[in-house]
Amino acid sequence: MLGIEDPKIWIAYILCIAGAISCMIYGIMKWNDGEETEVCS
Amino acid sequence: MISTPVLGVIVLIYLMIIFYLGMLGYKKTKEIDDYMVAGRHINPYILALSYGATFISTSAIIGFGGAAGALGMGLLWLAVMNIIVGILIAFVFFGSRTRRMGLRLKAVTFPELLGRRFQSRFIQGFSGALIGIFMPLYAGIVLIGGARFVETTLGINYDVAVLLLTVIVAAYVITGGLIAVMYTDALQGVFMFIGMLVLLALTYVKLGGIAEAHQALTAMTPLVPDSLAAGGHMGWTAMPAFGSPIWWTLVSTLILGVGVGVLAQPQLAVRFMTVENDRALNRAVLVGGPFILMMTGVAFTVGSLSNAFFYNTEGLISVAVAKGNTDLIIPQYINSAMPETFVILFMLTLLAAAMSTLSSQYHTMGTSIGHDFYRQFIKRGEVGNTVNITRLGIATTILISVILAYILPISIIARATAIFFGLCAAAFLPMYAGALFWPRMTREGAIASLIVGTFASLFWLGFVHAKEAVPLGICKFIFGTDTLLTGTWTVVDPILVATPLAAVVAVAVSYMTKPTSTEHLKKCYGK
Repeated sequence: MLGIEDPKIWIAYILCIAGAISCMIYGIMKWNDGEETEVCS
Repeated sequence: MISTPVLGVIVLIYLMIIFYLGMLGYKKTKEIDDYMVAGRHINPYILALSYGATFISTSAIIGFGGAAGALGMGLLWLAVMNIIVGILIAFVFFGSRTRRMGLRLKAVTFPELLGRRFQSRFIQGFSGALIGIFMPLYAGIVLIGGARFVETTLGINYDVAVLLLTVIVAAYVITGGLIAVMYTDALQGVFMFIGMLVLLALTYVKLGGIAEAHQALTAMTPLVPDSLAAGGHMGWTAMPAFGSPIWWTLVSTLILGVGVGVLAQPQLAVRFMTVENDRALNRAVLVGGPFILMMTGVAFTVGSLSNAFFYNTEGLISVAVAKGNTDLIIPQYINSAMPETFVILFMLTLLAAAMSTLSSQYHTMGTSIGHDFYRQFIKRGEVGNTVNITRLGIATTILISVILAYILPISIIARATAIFFGLCAAAFLPMYAGALFWPRMTREGAIASLIVGTFASLFWLGFVHAKEAVPLGICKFIFGTDTLLTGTWTVVDPILVATPLAAVVAVAVSYMTKPTSTEHLKKCYGK
């Protein structure tokens, strides 16, 4: 896949991209969560 | 070599903006919280870029990119770790709890957070001293990375390049504190993102497309030098042979050492305490993931692909072009393969990467010595001469970093980064994770874990892990043998031994000692 024969490499290549996309999805889904600034002390 | 006047003007403009942001930081710094944790009001995007730009130094781009030039695309597993562990797990699981606990305990540094959670000035003082002693090694190699590129691009003497970088960064860190550091980081992060994006695109274009470029690299497998093939190298688009020395170096030192070690990096953890709510942390993840992909993902891919480029143009592999010094692979590739305008852009990218990491290191080293070690440990909380000691701490650690940048051997960048990250993982990670997630962890458990993690890691480096033990020569001097253990042990990284050991000790000692009072736990966890 992608010109790379060893699956241990192309899986890493794809996981990098998938990981970054997951971060974006998480950020969008949680866009307005956790707004409260105060915590009890 | 590119036109020096053009580059000079661009660098000057860049530096003027940096100084402006440094001034802004200086003006906004009124209280100790401002200097230490940027007043806890940093914008999420600035946090994300600052975290990313600090995380990714020249060592990730030049050192690890160069390592990928030698070892191949197996390093992409480190990029996976950087994104999943370094961003997603760090922000989602560690970030929010660190922020809350830091606020509740009024902690302004990473050692202070740990010290207050476990009610121990020793933990704070020891952690501060550990950072003050070993972080200069990391700062030294970041300096090497930046200075090497300045040297090859501008033709400036390497020694002058080191001094220039140091003086500029020190100026705004000492005056503007963490606000100046994070503002400049964010700008530098933008430069880095653009620079790396263009680098990736141009590399694939130059090699005829994505799959074509990878295929060209795969076709070069028979060209792996005998010395590397004997160590387990199976080509630049394949993982090294399982269990071979190169496999162990790649997996245990580079991928795990740096991939996991990032969670316990003091200069990164302190950033979680700079925002006012969890929303900022969530939003930072959105920017952080793609940013790191563009940094390490691109550096490792391009580093590997440089082999295909050099083979097409010079009939040589990258390591041969760089005459064996892997730290020179990326600079040589940029200078040979990229158009002149891009060399300028990339010069700024690297300057930005070096400066953003250095500034945070100087800030962390200074506060570790001045605030954590001197004020809290030696003076037991009195303000005393903290400000001057912090400045003296910054100056001393900068001096040591510069000396190290002169004397460290070649091809050291990736390895020294891994040593520091590994040491942090062993010393801090079990204690830090326990502090955040495990109320049963006691002060005694934390202290035992800190000491065992630190010394087990140092012992393994000095007496077992051949790559450090042999050049250091301490083992040879004391015991008359290069390493105390032989065989595969000598290539297993300290992180794989010291971190689990420290974690086991933390759990065992905690269960053997009296639990922390409910009152204090309530203060830490808020319920």
